[in-house]
Amino acid sequence: MAGFSSALQLTDLNDFITPSQECIKPVKIDRTAGKVGKIRIEDDGTYYNVSDTGVETKLQKAQITLNDCLACSGCITSAESVLITQQSQDELYRVLQENMAHIANNESFKLVVVSVSPQALASLAAKYSLSMADANRKLVGFFKKLGVHHVFDTTFSRNFSLLESCREFVRRYKESEVNKKVLPMLASACPGWICYAEKTHGSYILPYISTVKSPQQIMGSLVKDYFARCMGATPDNIYHVTVMPCFDKKLEASRSDFYNDVYSTRDVDCVITSGEVDLMLAKENISLADVEDGTLDTLFGADAMVGHTGGGSGGYLEHIARYAAGQILGTELQKLNFKSLRNQDFQEVTIEADGKPTLKMALAYGFRNIQNIVQKIKRNKCPYHFVEIMACPSGCTNGGGQIRLAEGESTLKDRLADVTGLYNSVPVQSPWSVESVTSLYEEWLGGVDSEKCRQMLHTQYHEVEKMTNALTIKW
Amino acid sequence: MINMATLSALCTLEGHQDQVWCVAWNPAGTLLASCGSDKTIRIWAEEGSQWVCKSVLTEGHQRTIRTVAWSPCGNYLASASFDATIGIWSRKEGEFECIATLEGHENEVKAVAWASSGNLLATCSRDKSVWIWEVTEDEEFECASVLSAHTQDVKSCTWHPNRDVLASCSYDNTIKLFKEEIDDWSCYATLESHDSTVWKVCFDSEGHRLASVSDDKTVKIWQEYLPGNQEGIPTVGNEGTWKCVCTLSGYHDRTIFDIDWSQVNGRLVTGCGDDGIRIFSEEVGSDKNAPSFSMSASVRKAHEQDVNSVAWNPKVSSLLASCSDDGLVKLWRFKDGE
Repeated sequence: MAGFSSALQLTDLNDFITPSQECIKPVKIDRTAGKVGKIRIEDDGTYYNVSDTGVETKLQKAQITLNDCLACSGCITSAESVLITQQSQDELYRVLQENMAHIANNESFKLVVVSVSPQALASLAAKYSLSMADANRKLVGFFKKLGVHHVFDTTFSRNFSLLESCREFVRRYKESEVNKKVLPMLASACPGWICYAEKTHGSYILPYISTVKSPQQIMGSLVKDYFARCMGATPDNIYHVTVMPCFDKKLEASRSDFYNDVYSTRDVDCVITSGEVDLMLAKENISLADVEDGTLDTLFGADAMVGHTGGGSGGYLEHIARYAAGQILGTELQKLNFKSLRNQDFQEVTIEADGKPTLKMALAYGFRNIQNIVQKIKRNKCPYHFVEIMACPSGCTNGGGQIRLAEGESTLKDRLADVTGLYNSVPVQSPWSVESVTSLYEEWLGGVDSEKCRQMLHTQYHEVEKMTNALTIKW
Repeated sequence: MINMATLSALCTLEGHQDQVWCVAWNPAGTLLASCGSDKTIRIWAEEGSQWVCKSVLTEGHQRTIRTVAWSPCGNYLASASFDATIGIWSRKEGEFECIATLEGHENEVKAVAWASSGNLLATCSRDKSVWIWEVTEDEEFECASVLSAHTQDVKSCTWHPNRDVLASCSYDNTIKLFKEEIDDWSCYATLESHDSTVWKVCFDSEGHRLASVSDDKTVKIWQEYLPGNQEGIPTVGNEGTWKCVCTLSGYHDRTIFDIDWSQVNGRLVTGCGDDGIRIFSEEVGSDKNAPSFSMSASVRKAHEQDVNSVAWNPKVSSLLASCSDDGLVKLWRFKDGE
């Protein structure tokens, strides 16, 4: 299964999108009145229906096309092919073309919105040797020429993820004085980690995972709720695409928790990877460097290139550490001193203040480090208060969907260094000081601890049963 | 007159209630561990002139125990089970007790092996992955790497006798070699020659040769050619290249499930699905680049059913153990010919 994180590759995707055992292809059967006859099979395999009066009718072979099968999540289709076909650059082209046709005919059309993650943008910038700002302007130009109406940056929705995570951590820390089972808090932004946890470690690990939605899904809520209302549209009339560094995000977008029952629409309709965007550019036979700059949107901070501190996976540990140091220990952190443990993807940070209890946090990237954290928690031996868990070694800038190296192009190590360098080149801003975020908390959510806040910015997890049906084992 | 080499039955150890999958001698050669579908591990030792069952380790696993392996110091026993876990048993306090259960594999664990350096463990599973575990100072087992190099069920894994290099073999017909580089473990060589599932691999005592057995009914001998070798075999980086230099075919009638290379007498013993045990010796004057092995002894009907595992005693050159689907463990005496 190319592209998915190793946590998802080792588990079975089919347990998330369950292929049904029955073929649901409706086959029109011409029934003639009368008693049921017999079926006779000829030597050449033709079937004849012999009615009770002896009349023989040759039976038609049932026809099922591959498209029928892919549309159904049926017996021969694996979950992987369902995901890849329903969410791909081809699907985006199809929707855009359909949309253009509707517009041309003066019919109602969908508002197409694309939200780009900074890691995906960095991958494109690295491939085409552009600065982040240039890559951004050109990507906007590319999408808008294809018929996309608005292009946003998920860094904006990440502000909400970070703020909510900080607040949740402090809440849990206070609660841990009476209830030990609320810490350690585990990051929730990585769907590779979430799906693996739901599948393999079920009920005992899920309570530790932060309930905060990932930046992708908060953008989904922002676009389909707030933005929809601003534009006077209903959520099902917006087609929301996100550009992500990995394939696991496709699985995240398809979760039922992120499906709006009222309007029968997903918060994120389609996730394409940076690699898939590169394929779109190749199909149009154009280099991103040669694309004309597009007009940047102004909503959701889309016209200002800003980022967050704390590394290429969102900076959860850094932001929570600083906030907790202030709120719990009453100190202001200057620099976080990371100590590498058994490998570079497992690092810990200790926050101390005179006379106060020590806070310990860790970064655990990659399947082998996730294993160790989970086992420590299971045996009540985890020394950390918060762990930033990500499924991919080196984090999101190294996601499985990022643009691959072409022949002779550099080395994997150098490419990752370029992508990370570009990602870090963007000036940072603290989520606490983004005015539009603060005002949206009032305007959109009605306050910091409101019910709407919980609905829009938080989610839940479900233990997933392993399918032990022998028919579903992939030998 | 030439005396033929002989393999004669020494005794039969009864006790297991179902098929026995694996036999393993402790490093001192004084204890034999066996495990099987009855979910138990039995420890056998010699008492006077008899071999008796000293312990039965139960309650460790919920399904078949497929492989047992002794640590190089002899104080620990690891058990790999179809229940997807690995049991670590310690006899530091006298009797064996289960001190840890390693979880993580998605389904049946097929094998477990300890590296000679003492603090590395390898496991492999039907989930197609090979895991490397590190033993910490306080007897904790932490996952050091998860390697998904094979494309099918990984049947077995074996460490190099004196390097931290692991060999694994699989239903995908290949043998793979792994070692640690900078921050992580990776597969640095794939040995392809068998036409079907490779069930087991083992190194000779020096570690420059490998023997493998397969569902294709052959035994293959592989030779390592180091950088700068005089045969002119090209190498990559500072690792050697492995070449298949000998194939023993026509000796076995069915799948060969196990092979062991004696560290003491240099002979190979195979356990086969045709119920037989066979001993192979390298001929005098055999050319390193095209060695010749001949079958020096065999017992066609060593067991009533498939022979699943065979193991040379590490100290006593003539002693050999075997086990089978027939539920029995047997000890054999090998006498060299002249």
